[in-house]
Amino acid sequence: MSHLTKTNEAFWWSLFSAGGVMAALFLPVMIFVTGFVLPFMMGEDVESQQDRMVSLVTFWPVRLALFGIIFLSSFHCAHRIRHVLMDFGLRWAGVALMICCYGAAAGGAVAAGLILVRL
Amino acid sequence: MPEPTITLDVFRYRPDEDERSTFQSYDVPYHEHWVILDALNWIKDHVDGTLSYRWSCRMGVCGSCGMMINGDPKLTCAAFLKDYFPATIRIEPLANFPVERDLVIVMDDFMSKLTSVKPWMIRDDTSPMEEELLQSPSQLAAYKQFSMCINCLLCYAACPELDSDPDFLGPAAIALAHRYNLDSRDQGTAERQDILGAEEGVWGCAFIGECTEVCPKNVDPAGAIQQAKVAVTKDWYKRMLLPWGKR
Ligand code: FES
Repeated sequence: MSHLTKTNEAFWWSLFSAGGVMAALFLPVMIFVTGFVLPFMMGEDVESQQDRMVSLVTFWPVRLALFGIIFLSSFHCAHRIRHVLMDFGLRWAGVALMICCYGAAAGGAVAAGLILVRL
Repeated sequence: MPEPTITLDVFRYRPDEDERSTFQSYDVPYHEHWVILDALNWIKDHVDGTLSYRWSCRMGVCGSCGMMINGDPKLTCAAFLKDYFPATIRIEPLANFPVERDLVIVMDDFMSKLTSVKPWMIRDDTSPMEEELLQSPSQLAAYKQFSMCINCLLCYAACPELDSDPDFLGPAAIALAHRYNLDSRDQGTAERQDILGAEEGVWGCAFIGECTEVCPKNVDPAGAIQQAKVAVTKDWYKRMLLPWGKR
């Protein structure tokens, strides 16, 4: 081999694969539970549904779990998009592409974190 | 009744005569039990002795007869005419490689990639061994599948990543490096890690999986690369979190 390029891809890939587990396993379960099961169990009253959902989400372990799921899923998505764009010929964009993709994921995760903390 | 024939459209390139590659059509006798390699041998013996291609064992062992058959990488000694008859078969050299002549590809780049990952047993102590290195059946099972590779290069011809980045180490070389890393008798993982962990190493793969699809020996190079990614990632975290520790 003529040359080797050192990389920290292992770090991004570990977020990507952890996020893959989140996105494939936990995200659908979470959507199903919070979007269907709980609302159906809570009855008709929309306002009390809202209150109970907020009290559930403000429970710290739930906050943390939600943040973990959103944070890792976002990085999973960003990494995949980055690699698809590289395959479409944007390999030359290197670090700029990383900043765009992972920056968007980090922005999304920070926004989700702020919303979760302020609830 | 006339003997049935099948047409082969064969890629030709003779660097001493041709400026550009062309296709040449040959009508070959059709036999149900013939493989494409038999048809090529018939052409070479009866029609055109200048046709160049590699082959040796004729039984899927040596890995030298890989070509693109109608655009798919295949061992020509394992691809039967009957699976294509009566349509014309297009035969080209393996994709993602420079062509030496006709159906013969230049393998130099692959050979240097392969040797760069040191696909052989590395031991800390190089003095002659006093006793055998024993291995349990489960230790053997850990790497056996990846040791079945015959270097036929079908996986290189199928890999879309290699098409976009020719520096990528590629499926077979990574699978073989991983095979030795998994071998309980080997102590060379650290020596292979820099190259496996480079951008041109495992990170050149986006897990498209074409290599595993085309592998005639069920090696599952894509699986090997995924396992190697996990190993390289663990190593990276170890280096970052315990920089003073031994790898
Ligand atoms: S001739 Fe040996 S594998 Fe086909």
